[in-house]
Amino acid sequence: MPVWLREHSWRQTLTAVYLSLPLRGARATPANIFCSERYLKVSIPPFLFEAILYAPIDDTNSTAKIGNGNIFFTLYKKEPAMWDSLTLANAGKEKLQYLRENAVLKAQEKAKEETEAKKITKQEHKKYALEATMKLEEAERKRIEDLKEKERQKVAEELELWKNQQKDADRYKSIQKKGELHHEIEPLKERKNEKMNKTKIPNEGTSKIGLKSTKGCCGSCNIFSQNLKEEQLPAPRAPATVKVNFTPRVFPTALRESRVAEEEEWLHKQAEARRRINSDLSELEDLKEEEKNPDWLKDKGNKMFAMGNYLGAVNAYNLAVRLNDKLPLLYLNRAACHLKLRNLHKAIEDSSKALELLTPPVPDNENARVKAHVRRGTAFCQLELYTEGLQDYEAALKIDPKNKNIEKDAEKIRHLVQETLQSS
Amino acid sequence: SAAAGPERPQVVSHVQQALSYTVFDCKWVPRSARLVCLGSAARGTGLVQLYELHGARLELLREIEKPKPIKCGTFGATSLQQRYLATGDFDGNLNIWNLEAPEIPVYSVKGHKEIINSIDGVGGLGIGEGAPEIVTGSRDGTVKVWDPRQNDTPVANMEPVQGETKRDCWTVAFGNAYNQEERVVCAGYDNGDIKLFDLKTMSLRWETNIKNGVCSVEFDRKDINMNKLVATSLEGKFHVFDLRTQHPTKGFASVSEKAQKSTIWQVRHLPQNRDIFMTSGGSGSLHLWKYEYPAQRSKKDSEGSEMGVAGSLSLLQNVTLSTQPISSLDWSPDKKGLCVCGAFDQTVRVLIVTKLNKI
Repeated sequence: MPVWLREHSWRQTLTAVYLSLPLRGARATPANIFCSERYLKVSIPPFLFEAILYAPIDDTNSTAKIGNGNIFFTLYKKEPAMWDSLTLANAGKEKLQYLRENAVLKAQEKAKEETEAKKITKQEHKKYALEATMKLEEAERKRIEDLKEKERQKVAEELELWKNQQKDADRYKSIQKKGELHHEIEPLKERKNEKMNKTKIPNEGTSKIGLKSTKGCCGSCNIFSQNLKEEQLPAPRAPATVKVNFTPRVFPTALRESRVAEEEEWLHKQAEARRRINSDLSELEDLKEEEKNPDWLKDKGNKMFAMGNYLGAVNAYNLAVRLNDKLPLLYLNRAACHLKLRNLHKAIEDSSKALELLTPPVPDNENARVKAHVRRGTAFCQLELYTEGLQDYEAALKIDPKNKNIEKDAEKIRHLVQETLQSS
Repeated sequence: SAAAGPERPQVVSHVQQALSYTVFDCKWVPRSARLVCLGSAARGTGLVQLYELHGARLELLREIEKPKPIKCGTFGATSLQQRYLATGDFDGNLNIWNLEAPEIPVYSVKGHKEIINSIDGVGGLGIGEGAPEIVTGSRDGTVKVWDPRQNDTPVANMEPVQGETKRDCWTVAFGNAYNQEERVVCAGYDNGDIKLFDLKTMSLRWETNIKNGVCSVEFDRKDINMNKLVATSLEGKFHVFDLRTQHPTKGFASVSEKAQKSTIWQVRHLPQNRDIFMTSGGSGSLHLWKYEYPAQRSKKDSEGSEMGVAGSLSLLQNVTLSTQPISSLDWSPDKKGLCVCGAFDQTVRVLIVTKLNKI
């Protein structure tokens, strides 16, 4: 039960109401005060003050001053008029309730509007700040660009200078060369092992050299200088071979650290698959030695497929699978047989099984995976399940994007899919 | 993107030239402002284009077409007067061309059964001593050294042991050529192997495996006592080996860096400063690095053997020029900071790296 505060006092002018509420020692904060147009409440548990105001007030501009054990309200009337009393008399319980709720609702709405307004101003401030930052950054960028541009120009100029120096140096050298050779030829004529003298002869014009082979041609001049130099070079090495061993690697592809784990897994799986033998076959004893070898059976199957004996091939693969159900190539090849025999569902089954076994996908089993996708895709298409078929062809293309046949077929299927979509 | 700090080297793009073919290699012609681009035309023939730098553009001086696409080239084994270009092509042929008279090669040999991926030359250009030699590395798994004075047969052949499955050799480089006798060849392979062959003793001097296919190897200088070797690989990694101290079991000390997500196609050391090098990447970017030596380059291990101590790397600058791999890169030996690079977007770019003097 709240303790009602009733010792309030008030006075009024035409436009305002001044209400003084002693607090009986309780401490008040703004949170304890709730005010709307018609309703005023002060709640400091256990104390409570409530007033349904005689007439509406402007609650936005009205104030409350807390101090001296007292709250002093300054309430600005909405309509200037003298009130008969502070509160509405004869306020029925329902009216009270209604007014209370209304007040609360109105207060909430106002609070919402205020937050909205605040949000909008905040956004505008943010936008402004962003624009200002962008301008600053733009200016900085431009400054850096200018620096770079200046650098570029300086460097380009230096390069031109150097290039011209080179040209001059080249020209000088070629003139020099002619002069040098003049001197080289002379000792050659007399003695073979003369050290080359590098004398500088500025601006030697065309020199007339007696020897036929040196008539102004730089190429043959060089031979002479080369010959002399060769005297000083060691002879070509005596040929020898060094034998090299490589760090072993099963895959022909280059080694990449990130793929090593996958590759190991694949190799492991392959090794496992080869070792497995389904030993719970009593018919095993009836088979010849070679017929117990899945690889031999696979080869037999392949040969029969090549000759068109698809049923025979299927039998061979079946037996091989019973011996070792982990070899993906058996399922892959059997799928091809089923395609030929138009056992389309079996072809799909076998291709799927093959793909299952061809994980993890590594470059080593790329070919097999492409084939599996193509075979399954073909089977889907022959069952008129073109969307599924297309999925498989696209998967095959992803692995082998350069394959023109797959590309062509995929296009065809795409058209078929579009046609069936349009006609349905 | 490039940092604009005032003291950092900047990579300035000077010229961009669109080509109508795939360029695999580009090299400066020594002592000139000319460069050659080597590649493969759409119709499957080989192309050599000779350009000259004129202001802000490249002028095409000469275009030479050959029957087979050309993969790589070098001026390393030629004299300064001749400046002949040695090339390796897709068919395994090694040719040496006089660019003034390119109809007939000066030297020609069908050196390999498959594409020559990489070529290097040493003993020419007035640098170092000893015979001029060319080394080629091929997909056929062999590395062969040729002397242009000897026709038809190589002077050294590093080939797989009988029965050994061959690995693709992707890169070769000469080193340690500090006198007439000494020389080594470093080769990188697609299975991550790096092998160092000593040509004086004709034996394997060192090998290691860096766990990713080796795209490019280069010594910081060919003609000095071997000092450092950089090897770049797939998956964005490269390693710098300190070659001055070889431990009996641990080999050479190294530091490695993972610079980019994609393949690092090339490494090239600045001719004027052997501790600065540039790497080019599959993402079309170039990174400029500096190697800092440690306080002590070697120390003793627990058994008292000497082992090397690797230094550290700092990235001086990086820039992205293309969306396609930059597969070839060459610094001008004559103008510090001038370099050319070729990318798979069929563009060759001449760049200038500034402020290298301040490093």
